[in-house]
Amino acid sequence: MDKLKIISWVLFIVSVGSILYALIFNPASWIVYAIALVAIPVSVLSFGFIGMAKGNKEEEEGKRREPFIGY
Amino acid sequence: MNLMLNILLNVIIAFLIGTILIGLQRKIMARIQGRPGPPIIQHLLHTLKFFIKESAFPKTAAMPFYVAITAMLFVIWVAAVIDGPVTEGSLLLIFAIYTIQKIGEHNAGSSSGSPYGKMSCVRAVYSAAAEVPLFAVLIIIYLKAGTMNISSIINYQSIHGPLLFTIPLAAIMFFVLILSKSQYSPFAITKGKDIVSGYETEHFGLLRGYLMISESIAWYMLLWVFLTVFIGPLSLPAYLIGMVVLSTIVAFINAVTPILNPNHSVMMQVSLAFIGIAGSIVLLMI
Repeated sequence: MDKLKIISWVLFIVSVGSILYALIFNPASWIVYAIALVAIPVSVLSFGFIGMAKGNKEEEEGKRREPFIGY
Repeated sequence: MNLMLNILLNVIIAFLIGTILIGLQRKIMARIQGRPGPPIIQHLLHTLKFFIKESAFPKTAAMPFYVAITAMLFVIWVAAVIDGPVTEGSLLLIFAIYTIQKIGEHNAGSSSGSPYGKMSCVRAVYSAAAEVPLFAVLIIIYLKAGTMNISSIINYQSIHGPLLFTIPLAAIMFFVLILSKSQYSPFAITKGKDIVSGYETEHFGLLRGYLMISESIAWYMLLWVFLTVFIGPLSLPAYLIGMVVLSTIVAFINAVTPILNPNHSVMMQVSLAFIGIAGSIVLLMI
């Protein structure tokens, strides 16, 4: 499993875990706001990285080549 | 209701309604232009489609900033949902969120290393001209209602009637702001087709889908703020009707106007702001 997938899984588990904690234990408002602001975007993004398609290794270099920077 | 559940539901509702309204806009614009247009759920389908596509990271991208900036744009609109429908907090925070949106557009464009992104990055700074009318709107609302707290503004309107009728020029200025945030608007210089997709050009696949989620929530929130601050306490069906009406008006304007060049876009918005400010002050003094 490559580095991106490992980091994504870790972030996903932590963010969903914190959302569940806020749902179940209903902590102080400021904690809920902090969790919502960080965990909701991170969980959506990390879920996307886990689920996104992955191309062939041979084609990877071609996709990362520098964009046009002629001027 | 549990606070986190309240926030989650409002974020989901904001995304779903926002994305359908953006699709409705495109449909109306197409029909005015004599085209059948895409289905209303097209923006939602595109968002989901992009979300599962591979996202490659350009070699010139400033990592991890290139990814983090997309998350920052999502964070600020979740903050807007919390400040708006969930807590009915301060209007100043909405102003701050809108300012950070500009910063986010600027940095998303510059983070990839692409010339199209860079041009959009510069235009995002230009488009801060839309903040002049927004700031004026906040001051005029404060002068009229004596508060910048959304729930207090709602209470003021339940006693004195909608602010739409007492400070109409402020409402028009805020509408210009909404127009500047809409797709294909005359003021949408950061995503003009002359620069491909502007600051989104080099954010593809998953990251593009992620940006589209933020845009949907942003659109819903701008309409929600307008309806709440200028019309007052509304039921959910009334909010939906109001949002459809506003999106329709925006679609009509966008269908029949070209995208202005950046300088003209700025001058037009600043001119409208000056007219709005001067007129509102006169109306307040009468």
